[in-house]
Amino acid sequence: MIKSFFNWLKQPLGLIAVGIVFLALFSAAAYGLYTTQQAPDQPIQFPHKTHVAFGIQCLYCHPGASKGPAAGIPSQAKCWACHNQIVKTRDSALLAPLKDAVLNGESLEWVPVAIVPDFVQFNHRAHVAAGKNCEECHGDMTQQLVAQNPQVMNMGWCLNCHIENAGEDQAKLIKLTDCGTCHY
Amino acid sequence: MIRPEEIKMSAEETGKWGMVINQDICTGCQACVAACAMENNVTFVGEEDSGYGRSMHWIRIERFWEGEYPEVKMTPNQPMLCQQCGSAPCEPVCPAFATVHSTAESLNLQVYNRCVGTRYCANNCPYQVRSFNWRDYERPEPLPNQFNPDVTVRRRGVMEKCTFCIQRIHKAQDKAKSEGREVADGEFTTACAQACPANAIVFGRVDNPQSLVSQLAHKGHGVKHLEELGTLPNVTYFKGG
Repeated sequence: MIKSFFNWLKQPLGLIAVGIVFLALFSAAAYGLYTTQQAPDQPIQFPHKTHVAFGIQCLYCHPGASKGPAAGIPSQAKCWACHNQIVKTRDSALLAPLKDAVLNGESLEWVPVAIVPDFVQFNHRAHVAAGKNCEECHGDMTQQLVAQNPQVMNMGWCLNCHIENAGEDQAKLIKLTDCGTCHY
Repeated sequence: MIRPEEIKMSAEETGKWGMVINQDICTGCQACVAACAMENNVTFVGEEDSGYGRSMHWIRIERFWEGEYPEVKMTPNQPMLCQQCGSAPCEPVCPAFATVHSTAESLNLQVYNRCVGTRYCANNCPYQVRSFNWRDYERPEPLPNQFNPDVTVRRRGVMEKCTFCIQRIHKAQDKAKSEGREVADGEFTTACAQACPANAIVFGRVDNPQSLVSQLAHKGHGVKHLEELGTLPNVTYFKGG
């Protein structure tokens, strides 16, 4: 039974079938990988580009970046404080979820885009204090609509920058490449 | 305040962070055990797994029996935690380099995402202070709300142990750095030392002779457990003083 199946696979038709199965598996895997690299759906199609163009600083909405581990996402009260005063946005259909959330006292569930796994302890403050600008990791927000992750944030990417930043300073290199600096 | 010129001995000789535990004033109240579990997201394994000896603690209170049955004498309470050995037996046996020595902090690290769960380190630890996640233990609501966000929640198949509350070390260092100073002695402490109502546990820099912990450690009658194995432990015990 099994032997006749393998014999059938050796025929031209069988080889084509093997090829189709292989291609199907490969494309499924490639699609799976592709979906992990896509920006997630957000409750509101928030255009970063527009807000940056108005001259709003990153730290106005993400003040935690200079103070602590998490940069933070602004509360809807902060959004509404401005948008409430602009006639065009107050009644906009695009901002209806924001208006509903404010009036009903609910939270908008933004989906984090630049994330690290649970076993990585990342601190924004240290990176901002070391002179890193937001766009070095998060991309050029003057050109982005809905937030996207500009690069794969893996350990090699972190370490490259750490090693580069340490330069010739051995003590700094030891500290910045120590497992316990990020993993605990 | 730790100034570099005060640090006479190098970190390789003495370690960096250390602890002094006074067994004479320890009442065995288990406050440190509870505080450690809260701080470090140590799970509760339940009755059945505990019966298999799979209970998970990063610190435990040990007592031993002395003498034969009718005349049994109890030894003083002995809080036992990872001794953060300078030459740790757990480290060279790990095939995945998941337990490594931190050069920056002179601590033994457990890198959870590298750990493949061979449990060799726990078998080679003379202090028996490592615990293994035999399952993904259930944490019913609302228990997940009390997770410490600064500490990884470990999953099944991963070894874990006391870290000397490295998240607090980093937090204190980060705060000190943002204020442009060094970490002061006694500015922060580990969860077990903070919870101890008798102040039997003192934590600090052992490479700074001015710190409280190194002054206590050099009093003379301190004991480092199983020091004869050459593990260079960083926890000093006092008993019968």
